[in-house]
Formats: sequence, structure tokens, C-alpha cells
Amino acid sequence: MASRYSVARAARQLTSVAAKRPSAFACQQWRQIAQTPRLFTVSAQLKEKKYTEDHEWIEVSADGKTYTLGISEYAAKALGDVVYIELPQVDLEVGEGDAIGAVESVKSASDILTPVSGTVAELNSALEDKPGNINKDPEGDAWIAKITVSKEPTGKLMSKAEYKEFTEEA
Amino acid sequence: MLLGDVGLGMIKMKKLYNQRSSTSLRGAAQTERDGCIILIWIWACAGVKFHGLMAKQSERMKTGSAINASGSGRCRGTPPGSLARREHAASGASQLQPPPLPSSTMAPSRGVQLLCLSKSFTKCRSIPHHPVTTATTLAWPMHARRTYSSFTETLSNPANKLQSYISRSSDPYLNLSIEDHILRKSPPDSTVLFLYVNRPCVVIGRNQNPWTEVNLSILNAARGTNELKDTEPPGIGAVDLVRRRSGGGTVFHDEGNLNWSITCPRNEFTRDKHAEMVVRALRKQGIERARVNERHDIVLDQGQERRPSDPEDTHRTPYTVDEGIPKPLKVSGSAYKLTRQRALHHATTLLESPNLHIISQYLRSPAKHNIEAKGVESVSSPVSNIGLDLKAYQQRLQEVFAVTYASIGKINVAETVGDEYLNIPDIRKGYDELRTQDWMWAQTPQFDAKLDFCNGPEITMNVHHGIVKSFDVEAELVDETHEDIRSALVGVKLQDVTDWTTLLQANVEPFNDRCAAVAKRLEELLPVPEFPRT
Repeated sequence: MASRYSVARAARQLTSVAAKRPSAFACQQWRQIAQTPRLFTVSAQLKEKKYTEDHEWIEVSADGKTYTLGISEYAAKALGDVVYIELPQVDLEVGEGDAIGAVESVKSASDILTPVSGTVAELNSALEDKPGNINKDPEGDAWIAKITVSKEPTGKLMSKAEYKEFTEEA
Repeated sequence: MLLGDVGLGMIKMKKLYNQRSSTSLRGAAQTERDGCIILIWIWACAGVKFHGLMAKQSERMKTGSAINASGSGRCRGTPPGSLARREHAASGASQLQPPPLPSSTMAPSRGVQLLCLSKSFTKCRSIPHHPVTTATTLAWPMHARRTYSSFTETLSNPANKLQSYISRSSDPYLNLSIEDHILRKSPPDSTVLFLYVNRPCVVIGRNQNPWTEVNLSILNAARGTNELKDTEPPGIGAVDLVRRRSGGGTVFHDEGNLNWSITCPRNEFTRDKHAEMVVRALRKQGIERARVNERHDIVLDQGQERRPSDPEDTHRTPYTVDEGIPKPLKVSGSAYKLTRQRALHHATTLLESPNLHIISQYLRSPAKHNIEAKGVESVSSPVSNIGLDLKAYQQRLQEVFAVTYASIGKINVAETVGDEYLNIPDIRKGYDELRTQDWMWAQTPQFDAKLDFCNGPEITMNVHHGIVKSFDVEAELVDETHEDIRSALVGVKLQDVTDWTTLLQANVEPFNDRCAAVAKRLEELLPVPEFPRT
């Protein structure tokens, strides 16, 4: 009987999300992390910049209602010279994981995915004239969009240190 | 007999190529575009080219393809890629790929599997192989139905690390959608080759402006209002317009152009890797001038003197000239689409296009100098045909793909896909998306169109997301008519305009000369052809 329990425990450990490390080779679907929904006001740990496995970053505003979204320095460097940034339209409703635009560099188009659901509130229209800014300051002046959040993000988000580790692994 | 013809054709094509390269160097005006395309041969200078074309036509005649007398090498009324393509598709299917058997390669539905496991296995195997050639066929042979319904299953099976597909469809929207499906559904660590040939079409990059990149008014010759000048070569009938999902510039496709695409893991991707593979395939077919250039495209070096060079170096040939003159001729243009885990590299290969002489007309827009556009502008360079038989080269490319990835294993899946794949819901969705007015027109990056008149003020019209946002007339010359035109135009969606004159006539009172002049200029610079073509 006891041995049966231990087998079940081992199986549980093997299949639990926490036990899995993100691998560059394994299928990296949006991982649903089991968490109880938090109210906006208590999501303090989200106030620092968070990164996704798709190489976007988000940062929440002081009132917790708006997220600023951009692409990471790592992504900007990997893409090469950016020649155009396709921005969404203001007031567009977006769902977590949706493509809200695309970046073009050296004949390559890559989608920009939003890790949060909500409504596009503001765009960095300076990027329309100077898409190259993305290569200069992707995590600062060259933010892409601000999204009024309708639901807390549920996908995997990493801190700066975790993200650094993630990119070094890949 | 057939082999003999092909051999003869090859010799002719080689000769043609040699002659052509020297012709084009002698003073043909050359422009070209990214992604591939254009060689404007000055018409008078094109004797050699025309001669070459005739040689080609006679070869086609031997192989049974329809020819008309227009000299364009294509029958106007014939649906693109009709006879030759179908023939090719049918024989391609039987030569290059084993017919899909109801065995483990196809992962058929459960019921079928059970059926096959039972005594009726032999019966199952004996179902004749009928390639399906049109999307309109209602009753599919049983195997075809099974094939497309399990395509996604096979494609996404993690065990299938190396897959190779050929399309027998010539529909550019469908082929791009199958390709996108491969990008989204293939296992993250797999590598997939996909080859397809489209009917004549102009394909623009994701972030390009169709009005500056394409001569839209001649796309649909049957309905077009713009007559070609007598001095220009004849048009080639209806040409589709397509906006693809990848970046890059505008290209022209036809039945002499082979498109190859490779989807591979993002972390193994480089922009040159597969272009190098294609150069190896070309060199194996005897094209020793082929190399990858700094724009990740494939060019044929035009140096006249042969110098020692490392045959393994795919970025240099014995004919590379460091001074850049004579300019290499481009034969293949690349574009990419990247997702988190996957990278798609697709490119054209101009093997035996019968339309080289006319491509430039399609890619030369009359509005080029009147439109200031954001987004991506095509880069021109002179182009050429390679002069290889498409079918033979296609097979060679598959072999080289297998050799390149031999370290991963054997090719797990080698299939032919076709028009019936439009029944796969995800592919249908992508297909419909590519054919929406919004994707074609509203996706265009913001631009300013300058309407200039011989006697009248200059007008600047801003268009964003395909909607007219502003209509500004030089301040000191603005009058009431302009105000009326402005209120008629601002807010108009370009894709809703069929005719600018009709639009203004309906909304501006009185419709005077100045108004007519604005409408005429808009018609010249911003025509909105029927899309998708019916």
C-alpha cells in the first residue's frame, strides 16, 4: 500500500508544472500556472518588469490598471535592424496570447504577442517614424503599446533574473 | 523520347542563358526588385531573348503544352499552369513520392486503421491512386479524403522530425496557407521542406504598399482600363495579387518559378543556412555560378574570367568579381517568418519563367514617386532565369534536403498536397484571411499620396489603416471645391472604392473640371482593382 502511494507521488512530481524546466526543445505552450485569482491592488510582484518566453516585457502602472508592453533587449538584438513596426489600433480588444502587431527586420516578420488581455489604450507612434529606436532602447523609450488590463495575466512571466537564465539556456 | 527532349531543352536553355547574360550586360536597362524580379530588356535589344523564347516555345510544343501566337509563351485564355502543371503534378506525385498507402506513414483515422488491420488490408491497398486536381471536384477518391483529413495529424506527430511536401495546387493563397499551417503545426524540433509552384501572381511583403510596389491597373487585363502602349510587350492575362505573412519585398511568380520553403527550429535558424543548401543543389545541377549574397539571396556571378575558388564555399564562385561589375544576376529572393520556436524561410527560384521580359511592367508602379510610404520598400537588382528543368531540379532539391539532414535521420514523411486541403479548417481560415480586403489593403502601412496637377495646387492625402485621414491643399490656393472634395474623401475606406470618379460625382455638387481632375489623378495613382480576382 505504501509503495503504491510513493509511486503515485513520484508520478505526480514528474507531471507537475513546477518540476518541468522550460527546455528550448520541448513544446512550450502557455503554461497555466495554478494560482488563485488576485485582485489588481495586491499584485505587487507584477510591478517590476516581467518577461515572457516570447521575449516581450510588461510593466504595470502604479494604479495597476495599465500595462506597458515592449520587446526585450535580447529579442531586439536577435532580430537585427528593425525596419518597420506594425502597431495595433487604439481601442482594439486583445486577448492573452494574441498577436497585436509585428516587427520586421531583415526580411523577417515576427509577431508581437500580448501576455495580458485588455484594450489597447496608447501606442508609441514615434516608432512609426523611427522603427530603429527598437534597437536602441527596447526596454525604455521604445515601448510598443499600453494596454488597459481586463484580467490578470495567467501565462508564465519571469523576473529579470529568471529571464536572463532562460535566454542563456536557449 | 521525353528524356531526349528535356536534354535538348537543357542545352537550349544553357545557350540561352549564356547569350542572355552577355546581352543584358551590353546595355539593357535594368531595374529589379527585391524578392526577385525584373529585367527590362530594351525591346530592340531583346532579339536574343526573343529568339530564346521561341526556342523554348518549340520545346514546349514538343512536350504538349498549349501555346498561342502572341509571343508571350502562354495561352491567354488557358488557366495558368493548366496542362503542363497538371501533368507535372500527376507524374511528380508518382515519381517523387510513394502513393499514400494506408499504413503507418499516414496515420489514418481509427476506423480506417481497424479496417486495414482486418482481412480487407489487401483491398485497401488496391484502391487506385487518382490524383485530385481541382478544388471543385465533389467526390474525392477515398484515399484523398483520408490524406487531407490526417494531414495535420501526420504533420504534428512528434515522431516526424523530417518531412517533405510538394503541392500540386497552383493557387498562391492556398499554398501560402498550407505553408503557414506547417509553420504552426509541425513539431517544434522538426524540419519541413515544402515545394510549390504558383500561377502568375504578384506577391508583396507583409509590410508593403501595393500602390507603390505594383502596377495595379494591369493586373486584370480583361477588365483593365489602362491599355498597354504598342511598344510594350503583350500582357499575360489575369495575375493575382497576394500579400504574404512574411517580411521582405515584392516578387513575381509564375509556372517557371519554384518556391521552396523550410520550416525549422528557431534556435537552429540562420538567414543563410538554407540558401546555402539551395546553392549546393544548384551546383549539383551544374550551375557553378550560383552563390548566396549579402542580402541572403541567390545570385549568378557574371565575371568573365574563371579564377580559382573553393568549391565548398557557397558565398563565392570562380566568377565572383570583387569590383561588383558586371553585376551578378539574382535568381532567388528570400523572406522569413519567425515565431517563438519556429522559423520559416521561403524563397523563389527563377528556373524557366516564360515571362521575364514582362515582369518589370507588373512591378513598376506609376505612383512610385507620388507616394511617400512607411513600411518596407523593395530593393531592385537585375534578374535572370537559371535555365533548369523545374521537375528535375525539384527532385534534386529534395535529395539535397535529405542529405543535409541525414544526421537527424531519414525523411519520415514525403507527401503530395493539393487543392482538397482547403477542406482543413485551419488552412481554410488562413486562406480566407489572405483573401480579405482588410489584409490586402488596410494592412498597408500609413502613407502620403501627393496629387500633382499641371495647373493647380498640390494636394497631399494621408491614408492610415486603409482609410483617408486627411486631404490638404496648398493653403493659398484652397477653394470651396476642395473643401467639398475633402469632406467627400476623409473617412473613405480605399477598399470600398471601385471608381474614384463615381465616388466624387455622387458626393460633390457641382462636379466641375477641378473635381474631375482630382478624380482622374486618384484613379491613376490609387486604383483599387477587384480583389480577390474572380
